[in-house]
Amino acid sequence: MTNAHDAQAPQPSTAGLTRRDLMALAGAIPLGGTAWAQGAAPQRGGTLKVSANANPSSLDPATGGAGTDHSFLWTMFDTLVEWDYDTLKTRPGMAAFNFPDPRTMVLDIRPGILFHDGTPMDAAAVKFNFDRSRSDARSNIKADLQNVAQVDVTGPLQVTVKLARPDTALPAILSDRAGMMVSPKAVQALGNEHDRKPVGTGPWKFVSWSANEKIVVTRADKYWRQDRGFVDGIEFLIIPELATGLRAVVAGQNDFAYQVPPRLMPLIDKAKNLQKVTGPTLYCLQVYFNLAKKPLDILKVRQAINHALDRNSFVKASLAGVGEPAYMNLPKTHWAYDETLVKLYPHNIDLAKKLLAEAGFPNGIDLTVGSYTDQDSVRRSEIVGEQLRKAGIRLKYITGTIPEISGQFFGNEKKFDMLLSAWTGRPDPSMTYSLLYSKDAYFNAGRVDHGKALTDLLAESRVAERIEGRKLIFWQLQRNVMEQALVAPLAFQYELVAASQKVKGYKPNLLGKPKYEFVSLQG
Amino acid sequence: MIAAARWRVIRRRLLQALPVLVLATFVVFSLLKLMPGDIAITLAGENATEERIHEIRELYGLNRPFLVQYGNWLAHAMQGDLSKSLANGEAVATSIARAFPNTLLIVVLAMAVALGLGVPLGMLAASRPDGLRDRLVTSIASLGIAVPNFWLAMLLVAWLALNFGWFPATGAVALKDDPLRALHHAILPALALAAGGVAEVSRQLRSSLVEILSSPQVRTLRAKGLSAGVILWKHGLKNAGVNLLTVATLLFNRMLAATVVVEAVFAIPGMGNLIVNAALTRDLPVVQGVVFVMVLVVISINLAADLLYTVLDPRIS
Repeated sequence: MTNAHDAQAPQPSTAGLTRRDLMALAGAIPLGGTAWAQGAAPQRGGTLKVSANANPSSLDPATGGAGTDHSFLWTMFDTLVEWDYDTLKTRPGMAAFNFPDPRTMVLDIRPGILFHDGTPMDAAAVKFNFDRSRSDARSNIKADLQNVAQVDVTGPLQVTVKLARPDTALPAILSDRAGMMVSPKAVQALGNEHDRKPVGTGPWKFVSWSANEKIVVTRADKYWRQDRGFVDGIEFLIIPELATGLRAVVAGQNDFAYQVPPRLMPLIDKAKNLQKVTGPTLYCLQVYFNLAKKPLDILKVRQAINHALDRNSFVKASLAGVGEPAYMNLPKTHWAYDETLVKLYPHNIDLAKKLLAEAGFPNGIDLTVGSYTDQDSVRRSEIVGEQLRKAGIRLKYITGTIPEISGQFFGNEKKFDMLLSAWTGRPDPSMTYSLLYSKDAYFNAGRVDHGKALTDLLAESRVAERIEGRKLIFWQLQRNVMEQALVAPLAFQYELVAASQKVKGYKPNLLGKPKYEFVSLQG
Repeated sequence: MIAAARWRVIRRRLLQALPVLVLATFVVFSLLKLMPGDIAITLAGENATEERIHEIRELYGLNRPFLVQYGNWLAHAMQGDLSKSLANGEAVATSIARAFPNTLLIVVLAMAVALGLGVPLGMLAASRPDGLRDRLVTSIASLGIAVPNFWLAMLLVAWLALNFGWFPATGAVALKDDPLRALHHAILPALALAAGGVAEVSRQLRSSLVEILSSPQVRTLRAKGLSAGVILWKHGLKNAGVNLLTVATLLFNRMLAATVVVEAVFAIPGMGNLIVNAALTRDLPVVQGVVFVMVLVVISINLAADLLYTVLDPRIS
């Protein structure tokens, strides 16, 4: 299954982080490199006004759950581990990390970090956070830390994490919610109210949150890094309707709108006072299958669907070119991307028809598909419906809101054969593949066992030591998923940001969720 | 005697309010429970597992019997505790206290525009029925009714906010924080909301006035030598008052509902946006809280109208 890679097995890369290299790198990489920051030195001051497209579920990283929360959380919470904006390769954040053995992770916390309430961010605080995230009834990240068996304070600024089984995804997991440290003192004092009055260690500290209206953060004076956090404050104006959020930027009321739908790109281009920023993301538009339903339990039917899709046309028609065709769950720039999969399902209507006939459906098939009612989803539904129709795959769409339709598809109701939706991506590919394809995963709609090989690869992906080794395992894993046609990926939607000309220093990241640490306002 | 009648009206209305309140909240609660979708899935987060979803249902009592959940909510609501949002943890009363003034400001402003323009236009049309002015007013009214308020809202934004920059394109400012800026933000949404109201008020008033002005009573007044102005202002408008009040009451209640669309276009954090966002995420406590308050508001408006009827026409007891 991996022969295709043998000839081009990657050479060890100086940029590739390995478990053994991590200790050395922790000392070698300047914390918070700003290699991409261009032009004059960033100006300090000003308030950045952001059109935010969703109200957060909680401002406590452990108790929230929405993927849209990160854009708010990162302003108030630094993470133990960080990632490279372009590739998501992990690097030290508030702590350097290393694995002296496969079941032990040591975190060495950088000295001098304070929570916004003045208490030190030390080993005791990190242990408190680990314990809380693993055991609090309200914690939504217990599953992220399921391989953690024990957390010990082994020095004032050192924590040793004992693992029940090897987990090389842990650094990436600690670059997400689980790595955002909250102040133990604040949590003990506020209890559940900490959800709405968070205390972290980020460049900005919390000021106020009016639900569905506004979130305000202001500069944390004793922030531990001088090379980021340039604006005095950030105001997030919560505007769920994306076109309205963009309009606020066009009108000059706000400075920044993110995750703008590509159909609105002409408006950005037309507005002389705006700049446009785009970049690849993990946001994968895809067709989910329920493999427990006939005829999607037949491999050839799923392969026929994959062959019938014209991904290049989809990117042009649906995303105005602001994206790339998806052939797996990772985009081109990701460190575990496997380019050989591009050729696995070329657009071929005749082949799709042939596969359907071989599967026993010479006259085509009728399938029900869940989809959403927003304008972009409707457009995508029409395009996919038309592409599949040419191969004799007739779709009947049932539409509704995201919670309604996705709940019906992934939940107990098991409605629809397929779901036209998206996968928002995770910092580590093993999280993505586990959440999508392991037998009991919620996002495996049919709860179908996809075979021992895939299960073993999922486990191995968390054991492999070096990043190059992990890459090879992910190549096998991705090939396994795509050869079984467990999904029909369509396209990666690129991040599209509209910002006023005075906004400087912003760079999109592969997660597609904006970070403002290097943003400054000029003029 | 009149005071006693008014107290009777108040007592009766308040007694009627209770079953209306229970019925309205029960129906909405039932509809939300019947709708597909489960907030437990949303609350479980993007890395949801079956186990976590089950835990969430336990934690928030979402797996308790339907009637128990409703009864629990109602018991708390009757004691003034509207609970907390499941989706963001904010006290529902706090959300409503912040959102309601934004909605009320737009509606009051829209009512002022609707009455301020609709009444003169209606009088103008009624002064010469079937004349040029009448036909002009009728045409304007037809246009006002035909134009959807969301479309007008978008035109106003494109023209007056984005093109000329005279008004903000989105958002709201609390009246208590900065009254002038609050009004500045509210003007465009109020205009969008008022267009249909102007048309309705002018058409209804015209019909009412035409009927009154062609009555034998007015013919007698004319025969006695009263000027057309006195007849129109003193006798016509006063007699049309009850009808106008009915129209204004219905319009006010309808505008409260119509803010859902206008608030979405202008991204105003009002009651409309609050309930739409809550309904989309199945945030039951917020939906119930907004419905509860809106029912109270509508009942209060109708009660105020009933009391005003007795002022305008003492024959109404």
